[in-house]
Amino acid sequence: MVLKLYGHPLSTCTVRPALVLKELNVPFEVITLDVANHAHKAPDYLKIQPFGQIPYLDDDGFILYESRAISRYVAAKYRTSAGSALLPDVYTETQKYAKFEQAASVEAWNFDFYAANAAAEYIFKPKHGGVTDEARGKELLEGLGRTLDVYDGILASQKYLAGDDITLADLFHIGYGNILQNAKFIDLEDAKRPNVARWWKDITSRPSWQAFKDGAKSTA
Amino acid sequence: MVLKLHGFFFSTCTLRVATVLKEYNVPFEFVAVKLEEHGHKAPEYMQIQPFGQVPYIDDDGFVLYESRAICRYIAAKYRSNLAGPTLLPDVSTEVEKYARFEQAASVEAWNFDFYASTAAAELVYNPGYHGIPTNEVQAKKLIDSLNKTLDVYDQILAKQKYVAGDDITLVDLFHITYGNFLHTKGFINLEDEKRPNVRRWWRDITSRPSWQAVKDGLSPSS
Repeated sequence: MVLKLYGHPLSTCTVRPALVLKELNVPFEVITLDVANHAHKAPDYLKIQPFGQIPYLDDDGFILYESRAISRYVAAKYRTSAGSALLPDVYTETQKYAKFEQAASVEAWNFDFYAANAAAEYIFKPKHGGVTDEARGKELLEGLGRTLDVYDGILASQKYLAGDDITLADLFHIGYGNILQNAKFIDLEDAKRPNVARWWKDITSRPSWQAFKDGAKSTA
Repeated sequence: MVLKLHGFFFSTCTLRVATVLKEYNVPFEFVAVKLEEHGHKAPEYMQIQPFGQVPYIDDDGFVLYESRAICRYIAAKYRSNLAGPTLLPDVSTEVEKYARFEQAASVEAWNFDFYASTAAAELVYNPGYHGIPTNEVQAKKLIDSLNKTLDVYDQILAKQKYVAGDDITLVDLFHITYGNFLHTKGFINLEDEKRPNVRRWWRDITSRPSWQAVKDGLSPSS
């Protein structure tokens, strides 16, 4: 049975594992949920994803949610020689794995924490009739800016965030980075952070992102 | 050279790592970073940990930061120290168990820790250390969201013993430090009878010798 990714083509968290599936050429179907009408909060949905969030994966009956967990599962199960660096092996490449998890943890707490909340404050809240809390938004963008300053230092001496090979940790940034970049809340190509600019252009030029930058699509 | 854990003696993230070091019986030296002198923001410190955060480890020259990454590294490197099952599934031989572990870890990050650590900052660190009064509206929203997460945990834990399945994993341990922080200060109740499965789980994981050994803080002789 072809792998099914339930979510919404335009949601950052749906695109995140879709990118990994595309990187590894794993055929999959995107099943679009009617999130505008709260399909993800319906009782039947909550039996599968009890937090009422998207996406979730159905791999021939194996159900998994949380976009970064799905991404790791896909990278592990469909590991190819080309894609092997995306997720170093836990027990046989322990130091490389540790550096990957360090970068992934930084993405969670020092990037996504600010970026996802800034996107919510500036973009999604007004879309749903709410009012942006400008003070909070400013604080979040400042926090994000500080993180990017540190990234520029890190990327001065290595190609990607976990070392010289691209990993899932780099790919995890693309969704929210792109949303804020397009809406001009940040500038990831700012000449003042030349290493971040180099890295950002590199990861966003990958065919996987180019294929899905306007939304995730079924490949099966 | 013995593993060195650099951090604050009582920091949630430092104790998270210390718990796992104890769990895996890894001898370590605790090196105190001076919080009161903002030692974690000093230039020499930030050469090693560029975000100016604690903790980091130096395992005979291999330096790593981010507490959950450090915990995974310890579990991977010192697997043979455990008599029983590993707390970190082997991605190459048990990919579905590994996936469920990562699902639970992601839930811990975004549905538990996000609310718990931000609430801790709002309710305790801001007024206590930074002279910023608590934003009560924000704090209430965070605690409400945390309680909603715990309601879901109660459903999950009705059908399995731990958050990733029937075996304890690192992810259960990840919850302890912030959970304990908010619970002991009365901001949440992890032993609430209305959530009997959370209560059972909380009592189980916090009774482990590893947590009991570090819960009151670390000293250089730990």
